[in-house]
Amino acid sequence: MINKKICMLGAFSVGKTALVQRYVHSIFSDKYLSTVGVKISKKEMSVDGTDVTLVLWDMEGKDLYVDVNIAYLRGAMGYFLVVDGKRKETLQVALDLRNIAVNLVGPKVPHTILLNKADIESEWEVTEEDIASLQAQGISVLKTSAKTGLAVEDAFICLARAML
Amino acid sequence: MTHNRASGDTPPLPANEDLEALRGLLFKREIALIDQLRERLDDQAMHARDVSNVVAEALLLRAHKDDRLQVALEPIVENLFQVSLRKNPHRFTNVLFPLMGPAIRKSIAETFRSMLESFNKSIEMSFSWQGLRWRFEAMRTGKPFSEIVLLHTLVYRVEQVFFIHSETGLEIAHVADEGADAQDAGMVSAMLTAIQDFVRDCFTGDKDGELESLQHGEYIFLVEKDPRAYIACQIRGTPPSGFRERVRSALENMLIEYAEPLESFSGDTAPFATADRYLNSLFISRFVDEDKPLPLWVKALPVLLLLGLAGWFGFSRYEAYQDQREAVRREEAKKTFYTGMYAALEPLRDEPGFMVADIRARDEAPWEVRLLRDDLARTPEAVLAEKGLDSSRYVFTIVPYVSYERSIVARRVHSNIHPPSSVHMTFGDDGTLYFSGTAPMEWMLQARQEALMLPGVQAIDMQGVTDPRMERLTLMVQSVERIAVRFPLGKDIPVPGDTAKLAEAVNTLVGIEKLAAEMGTAASLTIYGHPDYTGQEKRNYEISQARARIIAAMLYAKGSSLPIALYGMGAEYAYKRDNGASVGDESSRRIEMKVHLAKAGDATPDILRK
Repeated sequence: MINKKICMLGAFSVGKTALVQRYVHSIFSDKYLSTVGVKISKKEMSVDGTDVTLVLWDMEGKDLYVDVNIAYLRGAMGYFLVVDGKRKETLQVALDLRNIAVNLVGPKVPHTILLNKADIESEWEVTEEDIASLQAQGISVLKTSAKTGLAVEDAFICLARAML
Repeated sequence: MTHNRASGDTPPLPANEDLEALRGLLFKREIALIDQLRERLDDQAMHARDVSNVVAEALLLRAHKDDRLQVALEPIVENLFQVSLRKNPHRFTNVLFPLMGPAIRKSIAETFRSMLESFNKSIEMSFSWQGLRWRFEAMRTGKPFSEIVLLHTLVYRVEQVFFIHSETGLEIAHVADEGADAQDAGMVSAMLTAIQDFVRDCFTGDKDGELESLQHGEYIFLVEKDPRAYIACQIRGTPPSGFRERVRSALENMLIEYAEPLESFSGDTAPFATADRYLNSLFISRFVDEDKPLPLWVKALPVLLLLGLAGWFGFSRYEAYQDQREAVRREEAKKTFYTGMYAALEPLRDEPGFMVADIRARDEAPWEVRLLRDDLARTPEAVLAEKGLDSSRYVFTIVPYVSYERSIVARRVHSNIHPPSSVHMTFGDDGTLYFSGTAPMEWMLQARQEALMLPGVQAIDMQGVTDPRMERLTLMVQSVERIAVRFPLGKDIPVPGDTAKLAEAVNTLVGIEKLAAEMGTAASLTIYGHPDYTGQEKRNYEISQARARIIAAMLYAKGSSLPIALYGMGAEYAYKRDNGASVGDESSRRIEMKVHLAKAGDATPDILRK
């Protein structure tokens, strides 16, 4: 069996937990997020014939008052950076968090920016130029929706394939 | 091995002959030594010899120093075993065979010991006051009885052991005790790691400190940590003081064995497939009553059971012995009974027409006796009474049968053919039944046919039986046949003196007819007329016929009623010659009478049959 630790990072209230809630299994409640600062979930999947168990560390959202506990990032083999498309400032938070992660676990660890709330893309502040700019930096970007489930499964598969 | 210096590692010196010569003079000995060393380094066989001189000591030194040698050799030896086992399993079977017996015996003994302990415990729990109280508690709280017993008796029990990668918090290996309420080990491992990080962050003053245990209710999470990996044990109750050292020791051994896969850990748990054996060694438990002496009656229970078993065994053996003795006694009694009965029923066995088939053994009279009896035999009661024996002691079941014993066959012949008292009957050695004495002819004819159809009669001989009337008849016949009636020449009337002879003949013939009729035979008379053969043959023939006819008429006239055949004898008949009569002889002119006896209805004269 192959186990992989992946983390979910992002600003406060970008929909990290809601995004994956339907696609993972957990024995812990959401209150762990506000108490311990992390909630563990698990997703078992098969990628190109290999069984992989992703142990998902859903980390508390960062804002002005709360900083992420970077200790939880240690040993991460991949991570998602979640952005609320309606709030452009969350993209910057994600990029800040990416810098922290790169410093801690290295630049080679696979990661993807998930632009959430794609179901209301018309209301987005994040523009296609922003996306193109990210992609130009070699950052993987996916548009997702917690509401419709758009590209969530794809996000897991892409990240798992990159980690194997 | 030859060494080519020009092609060696040493850079060639400038081709200066003087310098070369000088070097040869100055470093001759060193150059020789270097050559020797080079040769030694290149010679693999010499290497092997050198290593073989120190390899055992080196292995011993390293084995004493740390566990790395075992860890290094373990996969190699395991692989060797697997390959060798696949190649030649019989060799391993032969090696293991002497070990397997004791191992199996030990395992069985251990199982029995465990069963006995469990049995003791069950009895104590089921019947003791405490056990009943816990059973009531289980009913009241709705929990299973086993859970209540565990709550009250458990001091500690390790229920789960995790082996977790420190940096990632990923589960490497996990073992749970049977019956433990185990959650998803992967998520628990990660959360446990997160909590440790959380706690470490909370106590910023002690960055080197580690979370060593967590306590919740009756559970304790004991953590033994290393920067590479850690072991976490979920324990119910309070573990013994030396348990942490035990965990530490297991962790150290695992860190040695799995140093390489831990170093390069990327989430693949395959290299840790054998880690369970370390984790399993940490499963310990203790119950409150383990050191408590068992109540006396519980201790005594196995002994009582053994005594009971021995008593039951002894009693059953005694019963079997008694049964065996009883069977022997019965057999002897039966033998005695049959011997007695055999003697008592000897008259029946000796009696012709009897066979004793079966006697049903009973202690007391009357005894049931099954007999085969011929109808002509006497009754068993009569036979026994004759010997003065009491037949009321027996109940006879008679089965009819046909006896071939001679006395019975004789009775059978008597009762069927009713021989007259003048007839005597004997059996010959060959089984032929001989009759002797006198009896009527008609009886003899009938008896011969009937006797041969009786069972047991093989052959009959009646030559010894005569009929007395036959002698009289023979005499009468002879007297008639002696009578000669003569005739004058050329006449068919008898000479006067011989006519009286005819009256005598008629009386005798009447007597013959009567006696023959009594004896069941038919008598007839043939009269032959004879001429004296003088004169013509034809005349002779005619007169002989006339003479016979006249005599027949005279006999009928005088009262004879016998059928008479007449014959006139011509010259062609041999009688003349046989009689010695000559032509013209007076004695030739006569008639001759012959009496024939035959079965009734057959009056043909014998002469016609010649």
